[in-house]
Amino acid sequence: MSRQLSVILVLIFAVLLPGLNSCVDISCTDETTAFVKTGLYSYSSGAKTVPDSLTLYGEGMAVKVYDKATITQPALIPLKDSADYAKFIIKINGIADTIEFIYWSYPHLISKECGYSMFHTLDTVIFTRNNIDSLARVNPNVTTQNVENLQIYY
Amino acid sequence: MSQHRMSRTFRYIISITLLLSSLWQHAGAQDTIMFPMKVRLGFELLGSSKYFYEKERTNLEFTVSADLNERVSAVLSLGKTDHSYKRYRDTSFLLYNYTTNGTYYKAGLDFNLLKADKSQGKYFVGMGIRYGISHFNYEIPEITTENYWGKTVTKVPLTDEWAHYIEFTPGVRAEFIKNISMGWTVSLRKMIDPGTGRHQKPVYLPGFGNGSKSFSPGVNYYIIWSIPFRTKRVIIQPEPEEEEEDMNNPNQNSDMNNNGGFRQQSGASRF
Repeated sequence: MSRQLSVILVLIFAVLLPGLNSCVDISCTDETTAFVKTGLYSYSSGAKTVPDSLTLYGEGMAVKVYDKATITQPALIPLKDSADYAKFIIKINGIADTIEFIYWSYPHLISKECGYSMFHTLDTVIFTRNNIDSLARVNPNVTTQNVENLQIYY
Repeated sequence: MSQHRMSRTFRYIISITLLLSSLWQHAGAQDTIMFPMKVRLGFELLGSSKYFYEKERTNLEFTVSADLNERVSAVLSLGKTDHSYKRYRDTSFLLYNYTTNGTYYKAGLDFNLLKADKSQGKYFVGMGIRYGISHFNYEIPEITTENYWGKTVTKVPLTDEWAHYIEFTPGVRAEFIKNISMGWTVSLRKMIDPGTGRHQKPVYLPGFGNGSKSFSPGVNYYIIWSIPFRTKRVIIQPEPEEEEEDMNNPNQNSDMNNNGGFRQQSGASRF
C-alpha cells in the first residue's frame, strides 16, 4: 500500500510538474470598447427605423464614425475616455444635429487577458432638434454589454 | 411426539450455539492498532520554485495541521505573495501593469479516506476544505485604452482590500522517510468576495490566483515534517464482504498469499 502510494505520488508529480510550471497564454476574445448604444426610432410610428443614411463624427475630428452609412441597429457612439464631455455631429438622412454628452468614466476589468475598458455613466445629454424630435436616456450605464442606452426619435 | 419436540429443541440450541460462536469469531477478528497522532509542518514548493524562473512572482506558504482523530485533521495555512504582471496587446502597446502584494490565511479540515490501518498516520488520500482570507493591496500604475478618440492612459492608485474565498483540496500524501512526507493537492477555489467591487476585480489575488474569475483552480506540492504527539487506540472493523470474495476467488487468494500482506494469512502462520 505504502509503496504503491509513494510510486503513484512520484509519477503524478513527475508528469504534472513541467505542465504546471508552463503558463498558457490565452488571447482576448471579449468586447473591450464601451459604446453608447443608440436605437433610432421613427417618431411617427414609434418603431425602430434604420435611416437611409447616417453620418456621425466627433467635434474636431476628421475621421467619421459613420459616413453616409446604412447601419445595423443600434448605432455605436464612442465617448472620450480621457474626458467627461464629448460632442458629436449627427446627420440623419442628410439633416445635421448635435448631441453632447456629460458623463463620468471609470476603468473596468474585462478579464486578465483583455485588460481594462473605460465604462461611463451618462449624466446629461443635450441635443438640437433639426431632425431629431426627442431623445430618451433608457440606461445611463455605458458598458460592453449589448444594452440600449439611448433612443433617438426622428 | 415429545421425542420429536426434543429433537427440534436440540436443533435450535445447536443453531443458536453455532450463530453465537460465529459472532464471537467475528468480534475476535477486530484488530486494535495504536495510531500515531501527529502535528505536521508543511512548506509549499511550487509557488516558491517559480521564483527561480518567474521573478515577478514570489509566493511562500506554510501550513500547520494537527490530527483531531485518525481521519480528521485541523489545518491552518499562512502565505505571502508579491506579484507584478504586465499585459501587452502587442509589443508596443501595454494594456496594463498590475502589482499586488498581500498575506493570506486559510483555516479548515482535512478528511482522510483511508482507514487507520491503511493510513498508519503516514498516508493520506482524501479531501480538504478551507476558508481563505486574503489581505492585500494593489496598484495599477498604467491602464491604456484606445478608441475613436485615440489612446488614453489612466491609473488606479494603491488600494488596500480584504477578500474571502473557499477552497476544496483533494489530494494525496505519503511518508517517504521517517516523519518526512510529500504530497500534492488540487486546489479548487471559489470566490466569496474579492473586496474590490465588480469593476476592479483583482487580476491576481494572493492565495486565490486569477481574481477576475469566480473560480480558480491550482495545484500545490508540499513537503511536510510530522511530529507525533500521542498515540490513540483505534479499533479496526473487519471487512467480511472482501474476505468472502477472497475465499470465492482462488486465483485472487493465491496472489494475496504470494504478497503475504493479509491479516488472515499472517494469523494462520502463527499456528
